[in-house]
Amino acid sequence: MSLNIPLRRAVAPARVQASTTFICSQCRHATLLRRPKRPYTFTQLITLSDGSAFTHRTTSPAPVYRSTRDTRNSLLWNPSSSKLLNVEEDEAGRLAAFRAKFGRSWDANTPTEEELIKKSEESGDQAAAAAAEAAAAEEEEDNLLDLISSFGQEEQASGKKKD
Amino acid sequence: MAASESSRYLARSLPRAFAPSARPQSICLRRNLSDQASSKAAPADLEELESTGSLHATPSAPDAVKSFDPISKSRGRKKQLPRSRYQFRSPKYDRGPLHPHQPPKPSDPSSRLYVPGPFSLPRVEQTYQSTVTSDILTLCYVHNPPGFKPPPKAPRLRSWDDSSPYHKNRPLRGPRGGDVLRLLRKPINFNNIPKLERITIHSYVKKAAQDNSSWLHVAGMAVQAISNARVETFKSKTSVATWSIAPGRDSVAVKAELRGEDMLHFFGKLVDVVMPRIKDWEGVKGTSGDSSGNITFGLEPENVALFPEIEVNYDMYPPKMIPGCHITIHTSAKTDKDARLLLSALGIPFYGKMVD
Repeated sequence: MSLNIPLRRAVAPARVQASTTFICSQCRHATLLRRPKRPYTFTQLITLSDGSAFTHRTTSPAPVYRSTRDTRNSLLWNPSSSKLLNVEEDEAGRLAAFRAKFGRSWDANTPTEEELIKKSEESGDQAAAAAAEAAAAEEEEDNLLDLISSFGQEEQASGKKKD
Repeated sequence: MAASESSRYLARSLPRAFAPSARPQSICLRRNLSDQASSKAAPADLEELESTGSLHATPSAPDAVKSFDPISKSRGRKKQLPRSRYQFRSPKYDRGPLHPHQPPKPSDPSSRLYVPGPFSLPRVEQTYQSTVTSDILTLCYVHNPPGFKPPPKAPRLRSWDDSSPYHKNRPLRGPRGGDVLRLLRKPINFNNIPKLERITIHSYVKKAAQDNSSWLHVAGMAVQAISNARVETFKSKTSVATWSIAPGRDSVAVKAELRGEDMLHFFGKLVDVVMPRIKDWEGVKGTSGDSSGNITFGLEPENVALFPEIEVNYDMYPPKMIPGCHITIHTSAKTDKDARLLLSALGIPFYGKMVD
């Protein structure tokens, strides 16, 4: 007599997996060790606007990067710099052209470069004149000092004479 | 169990060791200085042995000396030498801690996860080491006279007053005024000076869900170009009906996480080149930060285009598709105040009301 083992069949219909758009092939007991991907990098020299330079690694293939605007010449990083504070942005010379055409009554308070130069020249002349005046004044003072110093002596001399 | 077994074996083997044995275990080769050498020497005939040992240097042939020139030999070699017979290849899969084949550590050059480097000493790191650390240490110095004892602080988690029998075995109460336990700020000394830990560049591209995936590709390439690191994409977690974004369906965000050398190069580039060129920019808002030392600010798409990597190859990117991004700077500072001190020392301007 052989024991007849009834073949067990799944009573329930086989589970149909819900179709997913992305297939996750990773099994539970093995984690794929993916090689880390790194973009190719170059060494680039960054030249700042004041001429200082440093190298760094970038994905950009240009070997040198010259910056026109950076921490060395922006007002936010140099709040005390007067040079950056009152810079008149007149790169194309349009403001100068406007002034040449229409005069400068609209911004008469701000001196142009020519006026500044003239002023400096005038101030040079004035300085020479002032120096001459000062010399003259010194001479006068010397005369006065002589007078003052000689004032009592004359009296004394006269007193002595009186004595 | 193992301990008990070993003690059992020991108990069995101990009397065996002390029992007297019939024959000597081995010939005693030890000789004292006072012994006669001949009395202990083996009586075997020694004529067969060589009189000189192998340690004596034999004079090498003069031809061999003249012909020995490894440099010219290696230069004259046409092909590369064959590699050694055995080369270790790390297993491709990590099969758990109990599997006999374990992958090597990620720091091992033979590992699949190995990232070589660092290859350079970034400028930001040099500045930090030479000037910023000492400045921060000076600024954060608090003088305590000798014999000073700080007043004892109340415990961060309060215990329940036993006014009710139901208070027994309850977990401790949270702090007053809210359930958030802030990070503990320890006084800053030479070994916990705040430093940059990582920078996260994150970009949420809503058009990727509305239009097509090209927005995400362009954003990923732009972020990769400015950061030197591969990006990860993320699906939306929330649903935004007005942008037709459903959770778990649409990939909408791109993130790059920078550490170490990449981070420092990115930070230096951001501060020295990109930030000064942003039009009408006052700085980072003083209110930003998560009150545990991480500070976030955003860049508009036109500001992202100012990065030299994008500028050099501007035509590659469709101009409308250049993404804006959020940049989070994670520092090891425990409060926003310290983080702001570090970042302003490294050159990031802050404006407005400072919230610490």
